[in-house]
Amino acid sequence: MNANPVNQSDCPEVKVPVPLFLAIGVVSLAENLLVVVAIIWNRNLHSPMYCFICSLAAFNTIASLSKTWETLMIVFADVGQLEKTGSSVMKLDDVMDSLLCMSFVGSIFSFLAIAVDRYITIFHALRYHNVMTMRRTGAMLGIIWTTCGVVAVLMVRFFDSKFIMICFVAFFIISLAIICSLYVYMFMLARIHARKIAALPTSSGGRSRQQRWRGNSMRGALTLTILFGAIVVCWAPFFVHLIIIMVCPMNPYCECYRSLFQLHVVLLMSHSVVDPAIYAFRIAELRHTFRKMLLCSQWRRCS
Amino acid sequence: MSDFHNRSQISARRSDYVWQYEYYDDEEPVSFEGLKAHRYSIVIGFWVGLAVFVIFMFFVLTLLTKTGAPHQENPDSAEKRHRPGSCLVDIDGAQDENDKAFSRPLLAESRSYFHFYINEEDQGQGKQKPEDKLTGKNAGARAQQGTCNRPRGISSSVMDEMDEDVEEAGGHQPLKGLLEESKTDRECAFFSHFNIPNFVNLEHSSTLGEDDLLYEPSVVLERQSRSQDAHSDIH
Repeated sequence: MNANPVNQSDCPEVKVPVPLFLAIGVVSLAENLLVVVAIIWNRNLHSPMYCFICSLAAFNTIASLSKTWETLMIVFADVGQLEKTGSSVMKLDDVMDSLLCMSFVGSIFSFLAIAVDRYITIFHALRYHNVMTMRRTGAMLGIIWTTCGVVAVLMVRFFDSKFIMICFVAFFIISLAIICSLYVYMFMLARIHARKIAALPTSSGGRSRQQRWRGNSMRGALTLTILFGAIVVCWAPFFVHLIIIMVCPMNPYCECYRSLFQLHVVLLMSHSVVDPAIYAFRIAELRHTFRKMLLCSQWRRCS
Repeated sequence: MSDFHNRSQISARRSDYVWQYEYYDDEEPVSFEGLKAHRYSIVIGFWVGLAVFVIFMFFVLTLLTKTGAPHQENPDSAEKRHRPGSCLVDIDGAQDENDKAFSRPLLAESRSYFHFYINEEDQGQGKQKPEDKLTGKNAGARAQQGTCNRPRGISSSVMDEMDEDVEEAGGHQPLKGLLEESKTDRECAFFSHFNIPNFVNLEHSSTLGEDDLLYEPSVVLERQSRSQDAHSDIH
């Protein structure tokens, strides 16, 4: 194991304690598994919108599972229980890396799919059922999962080449731009709706409604900022890391940024923890399903 | 050759399970001599930029909301104005003094907005009716269930994202109307069938006729929602 001698590097690698990795992994796994099971279990939730949220939760589950597994293997390897060399270990490492890559790409695709689904819901509300049938949803999800699997294998196979990394970063930036524009457009239309409705005559009085409209608008802006901000804050550091690897491997400033790699991975994992809170837990039907699942001791009574 | 060397190093390192990647060039350590700025300047700059971006986005969104305050309308068009909006909302019907200030531009705006929905509905309903007839019992029930639950889903997920008051809307008619507006075809289709033919005559029709128009859609809507609720209760 060749490590940089400490006196030659002023930016030592920042190491994140293993319990933190494990804690984040386990919490994320529990939350996302709960979401997946709840959506599959409740037949009311078998609609396109929930399918995409389920897909996102499934990708997050895979990510946290493989990350936790990798952390555990590192712990065992450090303790000495596991052989550090050997082709089987390397193959296992490859498998875990490709699972991680698959879940990253899949998460981004799922964000895109959820944004597009919501966009169609708002702007083509009357044609929604014709445009977004369950069959098409299934086809889309099939395509997404297949693409992610293929991309993951390719990425791990050819991760040396810069082209793959450039593609990955470009994909992320383009997806982010599409998601941002879709949500802002939806937000603006929702504001127009709310403004019209706030402008309608009722007996409740114009002033209190105006205040309520303002409050709702603020809350809408906050929600959108949280949604988009969480994606950017959790994913951008990792992608800037990838960019820096390609652009300035020898620069000391870049070296100091790269020394924070483990922190950036922790941020990425913490997005899996935050995701259910942003997407799934905000849906009343899902919350209701969780309560039924978790608090009902006797299944017969609950159904 | 350097590639091969790198690859062997990479594979050696990967089997060691160390958080080190090939770009940590151990043969040529990065020199930290003569740094003008702080070592972590890129890190600090990145995070400051990120924070500025998020805050900027929040302020842009709040500015977008503030520039669109509900404006005042003219008193004479207040009564006629709220009929085209009945698909949008207001089964209430009561008028306020302040409401007399609502202006005509909103009438024209809602009319064109409404036409958008009518055109959509014409295409949508044409396609949906045969679907409803041809699909089997289960699928039909599912579709009903879907229709019944999608509004809830939409209202709670999409509108929750935008408007968290919707779930507490309880007795608050206009926001409930926003809910119903974002539902699929049926209610809006009914309203459109009632409103559009009479739309042109609205300004000239008597108060009695207007009241009838107001009464019927709401009754139909209640019947509709009751039947849909019954369906959803079964499942």
